[in-house]
Amino acid sequence: MTGITRRAALGAAVARPLAAAVAMPLAGAVAAPALLAQAPTKLRVSVIPVLDVAPLHAAIAQGYFAAEGIEIDTSSTAGGATGLPGLVAGQFRIAFSNTVSILLGIREGLDFRFVSGASRSQPAPPDAMAVMVRKGSGITDGKGLEGKRIASNTRNNIVWLRGMSWIDRTGGDYRKVTTVEVPFPQMADALAGGQIDAAIFSEPFVTAALQSHGDRIERIGWPISETAPSSSVAQYVAMKDDLARNGEVFERFARGLHKGVDWVNERLGKPELLQLISGFSRVPVERLQNCAFTAYPKDVSEAELAEVISTMGRHGLGGRYPAPAELIFRTAKA
Amino acid sequence: MSEAVLARPAAVSLRLRPSSGLLLVLGLLLLWEISARTGMVDSPNWPPFLHVLAALARDTVSGEIPLLVGSTLARMFAGLAAGTLAGVAAGLIFGASRLVRRLLGPTVELIRPIPIPAIIPPLVLFLGLDDAMKVTVAAVTAFFPVLTNTAQGLRAVEADQLAMARSFGVPAHRRLLRVTLPAILPYVLAGLRVALALALVTTVVAEMIAGEQGVGHYLVLMQFAGRAEEMYAAVLVLALLGYGLNRGFVLLERRLIGWFYATGRDG
Repeated sequence: MTGITRRAALGAAVARPLAAAVAMPLAGAVAAPALLAQAPTKLRVSVIPVLDVAPLHAAIAQGYFAAEGIEIDTSSTAGGATGLPGLVAGQFRIAFSNTVSILLGIREGLDFRFVSGASRSQPAPPDAMAVMVRKGSGITDGKGLEGKRIASNTRNNIVWLRGMSWIDRTGGDYRKVTTVEVPFPQMADALAGGQIDAAIFSEPFVTAALQSHGDRIERIGWPISETAPSSSVAQYVAMKDDLARNGEVFERFARGLHKGVDWVNERLGKPELLQLISGFSRVPVERLQNCAFTAYPKDVSEAELAEVISTMGRHGLGGRYPAPAELIFRTAKA
Repeated sequence: MSEAVLARPAAVSLRLRPSSGLLLVLGLLLLWEISARTGMVDSPNWPPFLHVLAALARDTVSGEIPLLVGSTLARMFAGLAAGTLAGVAAGLIFGASRLVRRLLGPTVELIRPIPIPAIIPPLVLFLGLDDAMKVTVAAVTAFFPVLTNTAQGLRAVEADQLAMARSFGVPAHRRLLRVTLPAILPYVLAGLRVALALALVTTVVAEMIAGEQGVGHYLVLMQFAGRAEEMYAAVLVLALLGYGLNRGFVLLERRLIGWFYATGRDG
């Protein structure tokens, strides 16, 4: 019997969202009152409203973080790379970002450490990215893109890297292709209107572009599954010092998040999951029904980081990177 | 028949005359509707205006847009109040002291032209992503136009007015309250009017960059969700807000400094 009074435990439990009480597994119910009796630890997490963060929102909605005594406050930024400076400045404790942006920060001496996996590409098509061109352009591969303009939402992120890798893999030379930055929502118009020759889309914009401009544009490649199936896309990171001082807090975060991963993986393609994603991203459910989803992993492997570092090195983003094993916090190890 | 009744037909005819600006606005909205309906602009990112109005009505009735507008305006007015107070105080010192003007003038002139969105990243670093950062953005936006106008107004106070007050033995603090401040009020308000329009813009830009607050965040969220109707509804709200704030300010200005306009001058 713990020292906590029945009244205090009940009072604290009532203060938690009803969903937490309903979803709390029996095994955790014994330990939960002790955690609930304390003020929850607030963690501010930088996110982007994309499909990849579904497990985080599932864990919030299902009360998995609350059961761990954690209160998550999400803050949206326009891109994953925007959240990383906020992490360094202490505005966030955890940031969701793509692998390339994280590794570039690490190369520049920022002490990011992986606390959990977030998204990984599928082993076979369809994957969550697509290279698209105008119908009738005659472009079918990377060789055909040489001397042309291809759009990426940002340079030097995972979308750009996989796109450049696809160009090389399909007979082209990425150095002979001009990259222009175009935000995802404007890519289909720019491509259909002839301002660009090709674009690297990510879901749900792949689906949206094919629905709205399918008569004028077409997919010619799967940039991830044709270059690096089951490869790294995005993760959650925290600062090394914070992890050293408060490792236990991040363990609780990872436990809650990984229950969210299980919740999502059990409901792939089901209305419950689509409603959840539509709720935080505001993407209409009918569009999500046709989207290709990434895999939702819990871990970050040394092999996947090594593959990204190697691919970055071949595309002008080389440099001195620590050994992948040093970068993975215990909560992200398989 | 009362004067008010007599005046009404004149006001109506003024609104409907061919040179009325309202007709141009209606014409542009009609062009928007036609261009979207007929395929002149064939893109889901260019929805018909009536669809935008429907989205605006839907999110207004649901209470989402009123809440967002309220939170954006609260931040903007908080910043505007802080920036105006600081701007008037600094402007008085600038206008009164040549030494201060010489010492701080170059710094102010260097900082003043910097586009406010450019300083948002360092403000995020020091103030975070929430209200403190966004209110500061609005305050900095308001500060410089109010400062320069106040300083200019102070230098334009007629020496005769001050000399007369002095010769009547009006003490310094009363001269400030009764002569100087009323005399510079038209200048301060002119600066505030510029600041008001800019503060709305910069507050929304700050909301668009980070955090999950206000009309700015809603606009970006809808853009990335591919919901063009809702995105343009937010744009429409901002246009109406800007227009309404300006009209409201002009009315306030006419009440506060009616004597200024009565002299035949135009704000």
